[in-house]
Amino acid sequence: MSARSRRPASSRAVSVWLLALVVALVATVQIRSQAEVERSFAGADTASLAFLIDNLHRANDSLQAETADLTLRQATLQSGAGNAADQVLADEAARLRAAEGLVPVHGPGVVMVVDAVGLQALDLQDALNNLAVGGAEAIAVNDRRVVIGVPIEQTPGGVTIGGAPVPAPWTISVIGDANRLAQAADAMTQQMRADRRVRQATYRVEADVVIRAVVTERPFVYGVG
Amino acid sequence: MNTMSRKRVASILVVAAVALATGFLVAGQVKAQLLTPSNQVARYQALVRSVQELETGNAASRQRIATLRAQIDALEAAAARQSAATQALQNQVADLRAHAGLTPLHGPGVEVDLADGVPGGDSSSVPGYLVNYKDVQDLVNLLFARGAEGIAVNGRRITPLSAFSGSEGQVIIDQGPQVAAPIKLLAVGDRNRMETALADPSVLPDIRAREVQFQLQITFSGGPNLSLPAYDSSLDTRHVGTL
Repeated sequence: MSARSRRPASSRAVSVWLLALVVALVATVQIRSQAEVERSFAGADTASLAFLIDNLHRANDSLQAETADLTLRQATLQSGAGNAADQVLADEAARLRAAEGLVPVHGPGVVMVVDAVGLQALDLQDALNNLAVGGAEAIAVNDRRVVIGVPIEQTPGGVTIGGAPVPAPWTISVIGDANRLAQAADAMTQQMRADRRVRQATYRVEADVVIRAVVTERPFVYGVG
Repeated sequence: MNTMSRKRVASILVVAAVALATGFLVAGQVKAQLLTPSNQVARYQALVRSVQELETGNAASRQRIATLRAQIDALEAAAARQSAATQALQNQVADLRAHAGLTPLHGPGVEVDLADGVPGGDSSSVPGYLVNYKDVQDLVNLLFARGAEGIAVNGRRITPLSAFSGSEGQVIIDQGPQVAAPIKLLAVGDRNRMETALADPSVLPDIRAREVQFQLQITFSGGPNLSLPAYDSSLDTRHVGTL
């Protein structure tokens, strides 16, 4: 009797354990998959992701424009027509000289005027970087051409660009996509006006900003191509 | 006896089915409760998928640009072999490209490593323990001012028109994808001047302060021959005309 009654009892217990196991398994899988999803987004909020998407869209558009330009250059060179190579090289040289600040340039853009007391070199570097993010293709501050690599430093006498003092007010001439630059300049001037050191921060959009200042070319001493 | 056994099996199956259904219901409820707050996870997933797709496209475009530039170089070199004037032009362009960061560069220099610190009692909107784009910008400016001739940040070459952006611990340079700490910055140039500048406690005041407050890590070492890659993105000068 006891053996007969123990067998059904043990099979019931096994069934119950199996059921409990299944339930636990299902619940665990659900909760773990949820936790996994949440973990993969750790540290990135919606605003950061939106910023990233916006930036990547613009970057990819720019990369595609560059690809199209390079493809055209390649086709011109492959055509071998006349002095095609000379023309491609001359155009490339002009473009690079403009990018490196070696020649006077002009084009659409904005002119910002910032008058302040006590602004430091770091403030100017931040401002110029903001304009670069906003699409600046050529910049000058108080008729001093600035590209990455031109030292903007803090000295006891104030801020210097390439060793030359640039006292306030700063007139920052910028060439690039005027719409994007205007947005950047607008945000910057609003922020600057909230700074107690700033007496005046304005900008104007111009159809043809002229930058005559140039950077002196520095040959490589240490680097080898 | 046989009927009894069948009944028992049937009752066990019923209990099993009920328990299974209960399990699914409980799990479904837990899941629903986790998801309900404004469908956040689904939105995150969609945004992250977008970022991943755009980054894939970004990498493919940069690869294509690098390939095209190499092919154009070869075509220009072939043309230059046939004409002295073309050769002279090609030499000028090669020099300009080198200074713009469009070709690889190697030589003596320094490697600077930046790593996140430890979260502390920081109430500012920008977490001070994270390496941010301004840290990279400050380092790049410092090194160019102290003898760098070329710089790359996590394999991305800096050009005369480079721009730094990002949010919190993300750093975006030009048209590249975001990078985050650890950041490795390689600078080729006057190694001694750069090392002296990096050892000066009065430079990089923000990074120095966060070194103390959040254990942000900045280390550097000199090297006799560092290699920088070529820039692989767009050097946009569409709106600039020469006078």
